[in-house]
Amino acid sequence: MRVTQSLNQLQFVAAIDTLQSNLSQTQNQISTNLSFTTPSQNPVAAGAVNGYNQALAQSKQYDTNANSAQTRLSTEDSALTQVQNALQSLRTLALQANSGTLSSQDRGAIATQATQIQASLVSLANTQDGNGEYLFSGFATQTKPFALSPTGATYSGDQGQRQLQIAAGQSVADGDNGDTVFNQIKTGNGTFVATSGSGNTGTGVLGATTVVNASAYNGQPYSIKFSAVPATGLVANTYTILDSTGAAVVPAVSGTYTSGQSIAYDGTQVTITGQPGINDTFSVAPSTNQSVFTTVQNMVTALQSPATSSAGLAQLNNALNGAINNIDQALNQTSDVRSSIGGRLNSITTQLSVSSSQQIQLQTSISSLQSLDYASALTQLQGETTTLSAAMQAYTITQGLSLFKYL
Amino acid sequence: MSDVFGISLSALRAFQSAVAVTSNNIANANTPGYAKESVTLVSAAPQSNGTLSIGAGVQVAGIARSFSQASANQLNSSQSSLGQLNTLQGYSNQIDNIVGTTAGGLSTALQSFYSAWSDVANSPTSSATRQALLGKAQSVANSFQSTNSQLDSLNQDINSRITSDVQQINALGSSISNLNKQIVISTAQGGGQAPNDLIDQRDQLVSSLSKLTGISTTLDTNGALNVFVGNGQPLVLQGNTTQLTTVPGEFDASRLEVSTSTSNGNVISGTITSGELGGLLAARSQVIDPAKNALGQIATALSQSVNTQQNLGLDLSGQRGVPLFSVGAPAATASTKNTDAVSATVTVANLGALTTNDYILSYKTGSPALTNASDGTSVPFTVSGNTLSAAGMSIVLSGAPATGDKFLIQPTAQAAGSFSALNVLPSQVAAAGISLATSAAGSNAGTATIGAGTVVTAANANLLNPVTIRFTNPTTYTINGAGAYAYTAGAAISQNGWQVTISGTPATGDSFAVTGNAGATGDNSNALASANQQTSPLLDSGTVSINNAVSGMITGIGSQAQQINTAQTAQNAVNTQAIANQQSVSGVDLNEEAANLLQWQQAYGAAAKALQIGNSLFQSLLTAVQAA
Repeated sequence: MRVTQSLNQLQFVAAIDTLQSNLSQTQNQISTNLSFTTPSQNPVAAGAVNGYNQALAQSKQYDTNANSAQTRLSTEDSALTQVQNALQSLRTLALQANSGTLSSQDRGAIATQATQIQASLVSLANTQDGNGEYLFSGFATQTKPFALSPTGATYSGDQGQRQLQIAAGQSVADGDNGDTVFNQIKTGNGTFVATSGSGNTGTGVLGATTVVNASAYNGQPYSIKFSAVPATGLVANTYTILDSTGAAVVPAVSGTYTSGQSIAYDGTQVTITGQPGINDTFSVAPSTNQSVFTTVQNMVTALQSPATSSAGLAQLNNALNGAINNIDQALNQTSDVRSSIGGRLNSITTQLSVSSSQQIQLQTSISSLQSLDYASALTQLQGETTTLSAAMQAYTITQGLSLFKYL
Repeated sequence: MSDVFGISLSALRAFQSAVAVTSNNIANANTPGYAKESVTLVSAAPQSNGTLSIGAGVQVAGIARSFSQASANQLNSSQSSLGQLNTLQGYSNQIDNIVGTTAGGLSTALQSFYSAWSDVANSPTSSATRQALLGKAQSVANSFQSTNSQLDSLNQDINSRITSDVQQINALGSSISNLNKQIVISTAQGGGQAPNDLIDQRDQLVSSLSKLTGISTTLDTNGALNVFVGNGQPLVLQGNTTQLTTVPGEFDASRLEVSTSTSNGNVISGTITSGELGGLLAARSQVIDPAKNALGQIATALSQSVNTQQNLGLDLSGQRGVPLFSVGAPAATASTKNTDAVSATVTVANLGALTTNDYILSYKTGSPALTNASDGTSVPFTVSGNTLSAAGMSIVLSGAPATGDKFLIQPTAQAAGSFSALNVLPSQVAAAGISLATSAAGSNAGTATIGAGTVVTAANANLLNPVTIRFTNPTTYTINGAGAYAYTAGAAISQNGWQVTISGTPATGDSFAVTGNAGATGDNSNALASANQQTSPLLDSGTVSINNAVSGMITGIGSQAQQINTAQTAQNAVNTQAIANQQSVSGVDLNEEAANLLQWQQAYGAAAKALQIGNSLFQSLLTAVQAA
């Protein structure tokens, strides 16, 4: 084929253009440390890197969410620790007041202390987080959830429980509403509650209450009535189980009473000590929910009522025993909530470590797609430079060849 | 004896011409379009001298151009293809750069926007996080608009280049037709001798024309060259040219089309597939439109999903959230050829079915046909009443269309350009889910209680309206004072998209209220749902999330640019080969010319020597005669 000088020149210029543009691209890659700077240089990797970057940013956002949840849960946990301490103090006070050697005045002083603890409980239940949001008001975080009332405290929050997303498809509650923590507390032993009749005249005091056969317990309220047998007797020596209407249960259940004896019925068992009066009653009913503030209020009311007679002291004992049971339930509830918080904090910690390794993985993937392999890039740069200078040299040599030189 | 002089003289003349032709070749070695010439020598007719026939010397029969029509055609066609790919590559590389590895910043802006939703979820009552969210919403809008306006400016650039290309084509056409006239005259006058320089010029103009648009040529016997563009539309016929013009697009006046007449009836844009002009038209429809549509699809999905979610939540004051974004509805443009004023209105009916295609809706005796605008394939649709549903859109016409009416339906083309963040107060961000507050009137005398309200249909517009349920007697109640409904204790009462349960025995006159829960400002469930939309599959029948769509757009644009780059590189090699072929026939090789010069110089010297010898023969004869 005939090769003319102008074709030679044209091809040289085209070759130089290509070489220079390749060289410039390699140079750009080296100076930016990126293996591609536009999608066209590696379309699939560009799309994938975008996806990884989004996943990475999302994972980092999940960490932020997890930290936020961690902060709020820790705040709640420390508030609940103080609630536990307050409840322990109340329990100690109730035991102290229950010793029977105290005067009404002493009990009045204990009542004052209990009232103060009640106030601090309310203030703990109204704890706010760093953003000024109430911890225990459900979704109504700008509404003060608890206010003291004559029968305990009113709740103005709602049942909401805020969830924060800490991983794709995984969220944790960043708190618990006050209703669950402070109001939804079972009375008595959690299954049933035994109370002494308000008109009792004897010294019968309720002791331990237990569920001996959960499957036999049908939840029907009943009462234990004491009477003298024969009816002319002066001492109540017999107990009879009555149903909720006051009629004897069918088949009839009754027995001879001795102090400290367990009376069992319907899978439940109640222990009564002391000497109940004739016609004294003790009733057993399924546990209901009672606010911890009402429990404290009841305890304060009991402490403040004068109790001088032995029957009055028995009433006080019964009230304080009931209060201690209820405080124990509140302590259980608080520790349940705290262990649930602990569980959530654990899962957050686990998730944070999972996400940190996930982020390392994502960063590795991004870097393997996007970062430049310097060794090969520099080798390429070297090769391209060599080719370019060789092409230039070759051109000057061939350009020097001309027959006219010899004419 | 005189024949020696005659023969030598003819040789001297012929070799002088040959040297002149060689010099001319050397002089035009770098002239574009010049085809190497050579003298055609023939021996002169012999003079019969009795029985012997001695030649009468040499004569120049003509000057021949070294030219191959096949090579020239091959080069022209390769130049057309290369011109198209160069132009296409220019635009696809620009878009590649505009979109870049972050979709023009969109990817980052979207990520920040969704992260801001999570921040709001972490702290829903904080005004700062809400304000930050609105700031991020604004930057999302900015990135949509800036990317879209860069694409729009490419379209304007294409319009002005189409205009200038058409002017150049017209100018080249006129020059070619003028040269045709001169060539026809010169050829006739020269007794069949072709005017080489004029033909060189004409071939050069044809070559320039081939860079602008694909052409085909035919050579008439009188020497005139006819040039055709597109599908065989004549540009030059003998000495006449057809002027091309630009006309506004049938559907969009801002898109120029190429036509063979000033009316838009003879639009030939569709047939121009190569050359720079073909590249411009292809860049517009194959590179820029898809990019705008893809961007618009993401804009539509974002706006619709965010606004819908806003409506399903409550703001800080207990009101339903207001839309955060506004986006252009699908565009429906009537053809300028439509004979009536019927217009079409299009709305997005199903985001998951929305495509990035454009469609042509046409009518023939009242029955519609829908085709894909880019490839003409027909698209299934359903008609219900005056609504035509197809590809996730509902199309409603304002009247009865005439036969031949056409509408261009662009579901997402206009979306990104009109995407904007609305002016919303931080407190209007709906972070809370919709919940209800139920209450019993304090004066109630019965034992009936009302349970918590359950939201059944969050989208119900009346959901939050306060409702009072009043018992006109223990077994009958009214809702907001109307109706008389039988009361069954514990049965669900449904109204306005919610459901409540009243149980127990109400007394006459007892009332219960149901209203929106305005106090739940710490609820973040709607903010959580909003943050999760980033990865929820909204598009392509619920398979592609907004994140996926952005990645897909980056990969799509990158792949296309890569493919065009590859095609351009390949075509460049083809073109270099075509140039080499053409040059190997028509190019001037200086070394060859030097060798020819030497050859002619020696031949000239030899002919002169023959003359000298003839002269000395003649002198010998004269001397002999004088001596005798």
